[in-house]
Amino acid sequence: MSSGKVGAVMVVGAGIAGIQASLDLAESGYYVYLVEQSPAIGGAMPMLDKTFPTNDCSMCILSPKLVQCGRHLNIETLTNSVVSEVEGEPGNFKVSIQQKARYVDPDKCTGCGSCAEECPVKVDDEFNQGLGKRKAIYKSYAQAYPNAYAIDPSKCLKMKKAKACGKCLEVCQADAIDHEMQDETIDIEVGSVILCPGFEKFDPTDLEYYGYGKFPNVVTSLEFERILSASGPYGGHLQRPYDGKEPLKVAWIQCVGSRNCKIENGYCSSVCCMYAIKEAVIAKEHSKNDLDTSIFFMDMRTYGKDFEKYYDRAREEQGVNFIRSRIFKISEVDEESKDLTIRYADEKGQLHNEEFDMVVLSVGLEPAPSVIELGKKLGLELNQFGFAETEPMTGVNSSKEGIYVAGAFGGPKDIPETVLSASAAAGASASLLGDVRGTMIKEVEFPPEKDVSEEDPRIGVFVCHCGVNIGSTVNVPGVVETAKDLPNVAYAGEYLYVCSQDSQASIREAIEEHRLNRVVVASCSPRTHKPLFQETMREAGLNPYLFEMANIRDQCSWVHMNEPEKATEKAKDLVKMVVAKAALLEPVKQMSVQVTPKVLVIGGGVTGMSNAISLAEQGYSVHIIEKSDQLGGNALRIKQGFKGEDVQAFVADLINKVESSDNIEVSTGTGVSEASGYVGNFKTTLTNGDIVEHGVTVVAIGGQEYKPTEYLYNEHDAVFTQLELEEAIAANDPKVTQAKNIVLIQCVGSRDAERPYCSRVCCNKSVKLALHLKEINPDVNVFVLYRDVRTYGFYEENYRQARQKGVIFVRYNAEDKPRVEAAGNSLQVTVTDHVLGEPIVIETDAVGLAAAILAPEDNEQMNRMFKVPLNADGFFLEAHMKLRPVDTAADGVFIAGLAHGPKSMEENVAQAKAAAGRALTILSKDSLESSGVVAVVQPDKCAACLTCVRLCPFSAPRINNYAAEIEAVLCQGCGSCAGECPNKAITLQSYKDVMLMNMVDSLYKEVR
Amino acid sequence: MIIAQQKSIQDIASMIEDCNKVLLVGCAGCVTVCLAGGEKETEVLAASLRIKRRLENKPLETVTFVATRQCDPEYIETLESYVKDVDAVISLACGVGVQYVAERFSDKWVVPALNTNFIGGSLNHGEWEERCGLCGDCVLHRTGGICPIIRCSKSILNGPCGGSQYGKCEISKDMDCAWQLIYDRMKALGKLDKLMEYQPPKDWSKSRDGGPRRAVREDVMID
Amino acid sequence: MRLQYASTVRIIEMPCTGTIDHRVLLKTFEDGADGVFVAGCMEGDCHFLKGNIRAKKRVNMVKNILEEIGFGGDRLDFFNLSAAQGQRFAEIVTEMTDRIRELGPTPLNQKEGDTA
Repeated sequence: MSSGKVGAVMVVGAGIAGIQASLDLAESGYYVYLVEQSPAIGGAMPMLDKTFPTNDCSMCILSPKLVQCGRHLNIETLTNSVVSEVEGEPGNFKVSIQQKARYVDPDKCTGCGSCAEECPVKVDDEFNQGLGKRKAIYKSYAQAYPNAYAIDPSKCLKMKKAKACGKCLEVCQADAIDHEMQDETIDIEVGSVILCPGFEKFDPTDLEYYGYGKFPNVVTSLEFERILSASGPYGGHLQRPYDGKEPLKVAWIQCVGSRNCKIENGYCSSVCCMYAIKEAVIAKEHSKNDLDTSIFFMDMRTYGKDFEKYYDRAREEQGVNFIRSRIFKISEVDEESKDLTIRYADEKGQLHNEEFDMVVLSVGLEPAPSVIELGKKLGLELNQFGFAETEPMTGVNSSKEGIYVAGAFGGPKDIPETVLSASAAAGASASLLGDVRGTMIKEVEFPPEKDVSEEDPRIGVFVCHCGVNIGSTVNVPGVVETAKDLPNVAYAGEYLYVCSQDSQASIREAIEEHRLNRVVVASCSPRTHKPLFQETMREAGLNPYLFEMANIRDQCSWVHMNEPEKATEKAKDLVKMVVAKAALLEPVKQMSVQVTPKVLVIGGGVTGMSNAISLAEQGYSVHIIEKSDQLGGNALRIKQGFKGEDVQAFVADLINKVESSDNIEVSTGTGVSEASGYVGNFKTTLTNGDIVEHGVTVVAIGGQEYKPTEYLYNEHDAVFTQLELEEAIAANDPKVTQAKNIVLIQCVGSRDAERPYCSRVCCNKSVKLALHLKEINPDVNVFVLYRDVRTYGFYEENYRQARQKGVIFVRYNAEDKPRVEAAGNSLQVTVTDHVLGEPIVIETDAVGLAAAILAPEDNEQMNRMFKVPLNADGFFLEAHMKLRPVDTAADGVFIAGLAHGPKSMEENVAQAKAAAGRALTILSKDSLESSGVVAVVQPDKCAACLTCVRLCPFSAPRINNYAAEIEAVLCQGCGSCAGECPNKAITLQSYKDVMLMNMVDSLYKEVR
Repeated sequence: MIIAQQKSIQDIASMIEDCNKVLLVGCAGCVTVCLAGGEKETEVLAASLRIKRRLENKPLETVTFVATRQCDPEYIETLESYVKDVDAVISLACGVGVQYVAERFSDKWVVPALNTNFIGGSLNHGEWEERCGLCGDCVLHRTGGICPIIRCSKSILNGPCGGSQYGKCEISKDMDCAWQLIYDRMKALGKLDKLMEYQPPKDWSKSRDGGPRRAVREDVMID
Repeated sequence: MRLQYASTVRIIEMPCTGTIDHRVLLKTFEDGADGVFVAGCMEGDCHFLKGNIRAKKRVNMVKNILEEIGFGGDRLDFFNLSAAQGQRFAEIVTEMTDRIRELGPTPLNQKEGDTA
């Protein structure tokens, strides 16, 4: 460590941002300390029911990441922990962490839950937002990691009085509970810090007019998520907390605790519009009746990718009512029904009193007081609302070098932006610590694998009591006896907890003693425990795929608690089936491919350059190709950023960094003529004839400005697009700078039938331009004609300022667009005013059009060459809308910037860094291994029919030498091709049809 | 390739009503590619027939085998050991395969499991279209690579009929007029003059003129 | 959640329902299953993008075969549910066992068998 830097990173906060940052760093050669205040990782995502705009189940998409993060060798998770002190400098921080006693040893606790069953103390369950109860010894949610309970010391009877209780101790057979456990101080050294402590929901109790806390049927949006959730307090049944009645009419109130200057929460919380629509749509799905849903809003801010379509569908197809109004008050209809009345004025000023069964408050996002305190302790600059202030155009750099910010701490964010910022922070950390990569990581050595291919199967069956979880229902000795008589079984035994450390030793001994070459564990879920046992297999010198599990707990003892005999029969059957499969198991070798440690970045705009610089700083060789003859892209036309940044200076600095870097090669005036290969090994031919071999591809080909066909554009020289208007201001064009009146028209080419998406940046841009015009000439009248003002996040502050400075905002309807007519050198704009309902005529000197951002023109070419799918609007489609925002279905190809969808420059930079962070997980490895089981082709049976090639979403199969070939590194192991193959030439390792059929045979053998 | 589709299980079952044991022979050629007669379909059909017969209380024993091709005698030879002790053979090949099996095992009851539809290619996965009329005297060089014999409803060889409207055939507005396609393509190629060339009457003797046709290439014959 | 459901169900795990082959489904019935259901992820939620959709098509194809040969397609079904919907799983088991109970034991076996 010549630089004195430390190759480890501390990540504070284990929500989705913390998990993603940790995984990215750990996969790139850094050791990670993941510090989490609560007893489990996961953050807010596990509480959500579905996620917009895909309606994915939140827990389902998160759960694999929880397992991956929890079990990662190079991620040390410190739960119940808070950071107390940070000293030192970038590259070398000394951190003190206070770990509160959990009172349960997570290494011993098996998560069986017997303690909680016995615990007599019921307390409000904060995971369910207080709508349900948990015990004083508890696990936040079923899939929580660590899969261990914790004691709430403020509620535990024994903690208050030693002799008062102790029921949990009696029932815990793992001896994991220790009421005497002490708090600890942990000192660590890290090279950088990533802060992603998340948000706290706004508490609406003090806003009396909403009646929250007073009226039981007024709930927060997070409470409503729990009501909708299948794992929530009502099992997913839509009902009111007050009387359990299913509501027929529900209202959502937007901007509760957001866009409210009176309480000094002037910012927009960015996510509430979408989550409210989602909740309304999902509630309608859950309802047996025709649920009436209304959303009371000020501006509908569905500005993200595919959000506008979601809004359109909700409004037009799913029948959600949208009422544009900031309500006055919620009151209760009467004591008995507890129904609610909302008093509001519509746009015309007409007063209404409307009754609802239930009202949901769309509460905003705030930084928690403890987070603000942490920020202050670290000396970070915070904005007026207590969120971390990030350095201009960095996306993730805090005011202190070496400390990065991800997720909602930097401002309210939805899940994909949170994940994106986490990957970006990981990328930035890695840039800082490039020279100490790989210095702190742990690796495990396993003994060489025994060759068992010539041996007959000798199966060992290990049956678990899981304390009382299995044993009290299923006759475990009986199951063991049955197992002993099964074909190929050489050993069978019972264990109190087969997952405990000493049991692992017993398994290894049994393998040795009985010369076992297959292992079956009959216990709990393979989801949580298979990796543990597979590791034991490797320690014993056996291939980890010669292992199989029977779930006789979750799928048997727990669900047939009252039928012990039948449960025992079932457990025997499950073991029988798995043993039948195990006999046919074959070892699985992980295939690997070499990685070319080089990156091809397509597109030399701000995004491409930012990405290249980040990767070059980490020592990787980068080749940027740019179609035009200079670097800079669209940014060359932009003067000022949304926070007032000098964009030209920023771009010049990027170009300078790119051109002076030894690791970056630039080819301008160059495109791609041919591409082949796959992750780790791409081979791309450029239009100049050069051939580039690279391990990673980053597609950052930008977007285009829509050239309007409306509003006299191109017909009158005082009609500009936003970018042209900015250029005109910079050039001191008198048409603009000396104008008396200027009209800015929003949504030109966006949010219409042809382009049903929001271009995201135009509202902010127009507000910023209006402010700029006012600055140049305070007397100019600027009119902004808009449909919804979408100044999300802290940009709301610009909107407030613009109104304060006298910019006039007039709303128009999509059905009744403004009309622009020529009047000599000047223009005349007619628009129907939203309050008056009457047309008003504005004589104006210039008109600025907020022209849409279009998909890049080369999108289809890139789509063909790199197999990155496009969405309906022509933008590149990410691998997963929520959790993989820069990855694509084509492994090793990443997307960033406008090519992915409209975004601000700062957001593009963050995405570029995120792509760098993700790319690093590939580049930092010498070779890539296939993950788990993959599909395998028997070429002599293959008819080259193309079924697999056409079917596979990951482009893993291709035809070579007249037969299909599956690239193991690309194969995700779903087996869809195996299931479909007409000549059964493809099989999925460990899930061959013969194995499954053998399971079925074993089950029915006696019956037949 | 040859495009074929499976007959109904009912129909196939009725062909082997009085058999107790049958051999199902798939073909790894065209019919595997068009998803009608590969190993999967062969085994699915076998299982379906077994279940059906058990329901009728007349259990059926099945043996399955997939031949590399059923249109070459050598591959049919490989069936011999399986054919011996069965009452019937169900061939999941095209009509050619069924006949080859029947000829080779002349004392066996051999039945087809597929209907052989046409010679064509795939449009999408699971969707095929006829493209060749097997006329024995290819005219594609004169028609811009578009076969009027199979793609024109009337197989007209000299331009469209009166039923061609807006580029569509009168029999269906979803069907392109082949001659419109031919004209457009030849125009795009700058070869419209080719369409004006005099064509002698087509030699239909090379098409289906009674009895099976035979193709011979002395140069590749071995003996 | 430990919801109680009928103990006559046996479960075969696969990485994605996309793996399921028509042959395996038919095999379960030939061996003696009274009813079979395949539980895949919610549509659009497939971790492998489209496996559940492929599986549903295959299940429907086998349902048609079973119907055609007089076994009855109702003994087989496909359900979409997510990993977080334990309750839904219990409901599906109940729905399926009720349905099979009404249909009676498999017509292929005199002896009463289990459902898988």
